[in-house]
Amino acid sequence: MNTYLVLIPAFNESADLKKVLNDVRGNIPQADILVVNDGSTDHTSEIARNAGVMVLDIPYNIGYGGAVQTGFRFATEFVYDYVITIDGDAQHDPVSAKNLIKAMEETGADVVIGSRFLHGDYRMGVARKAGVLLFSKIAQWYTGVQFTDPTSGFQILNRKVFSYLAEENNYPLDYPDANIIMAMHKMKFTVTEAPVTMREKPGGKSMHSGYRPFIYVMRMFLSILMVLLRKEE
Amino acid sequence: MGIFLFIVILELVRRKKFREELSIIWLVIGICLILSSFADRVIDPLALRLGISYPPALVFILIFFLLVFAMLYFSLVVSDLKSKNKELSQKMALLEYRVSKITQEETSAIKD
Repeated sequence: MNTYLVLIPAFNESADLKKVLNDVRGNIPQADILVVNDGSTDHTSEIARNAGVMVLDIPYNIGYGGAVQTGFRFATEFVYDYVITIDGDAQHDPVSAKNLIKAMEETGADVVIGSRFLHGDYRMGVARKAGVLLFSKIAQWYTGVQFTDPTSGFQILNRKVFSYLAEENNYPLDYPDANIIMAMHKMKFTVTEAPVTMREKPGGKSMHSGYRPFIYVMRMFLSILMVLLRKEE
Repeated sequence: MGIFLFIVILELVRRKKFREELSIIWLVIGICLILSSFADRVIDPLALRLGISYPPALVFILIFFLLVFAMLYFSLVVSDLKSKNKELSQKMALLEYRVSKITQEETSAIKD
């Protein structure tokens, strides 16, 4: 069995999934591929099955974080060494996975987060930029390391980390952000960044667009506060 | 109104439409409502002592607190159900994968 598992959480991604799977196969041929279908109402599951990759079907939509955690559980059960998470909407360019793998080998970190801001520029709205900056600054204050893109879902994690995050209450149901980086730092996992390329989404349909930003910011402050308040087990 | 609420809840529990654990909090509210209509002897002096010039306002305050606690309690229950529900769906997805793998192996074994 390969030691790398590419984990693709997908919710109604039938438009892009085929392309994502082809790109992943072409660029990370040594990895097994797992699509976690998060209660999609379209043909996401069939497309993945026809492409011959492993598929987990969650019976109804439980959220991005819940889907990723299901994949972490899978990887823990089937004893993979590394998990690479890639979004199912073709936003992440699998070519960059090499950067993540390389960074992990060179730095010996437990988690490498792919950042779209380390190299090149990526356009986004002012409000989102402010939000990303705010939480990356908080994470920097706590961990002492600069994270330019804490919301990035393009990551590589080793078994120590994903088996920890696979436990019941260690991963959020919605979108992991700076709070998870801080929680990982608290658990003494080393977290670092590597540059990746991301494509701008043509439809402008972002993971965070459905979220009312104000509530999101409040919720994230609460999660961060909780990370700080919780005692280490 | 308190008596009506009390009877409706008892009937719901009897028909097993309402779990006994959860109904307790509503029964308590019902009892408080019933008592509050007889409690002017307690409420009136208490309200005056607390500096509330209109005694029924104290009743509303008490009911308000009860309702806030009831809602907090239900939020807790919903939150707990949500995480249990997540666990269940994740385990189901993983089990389904294993089952379909086993059935695949079985069917291919039969064909051979």
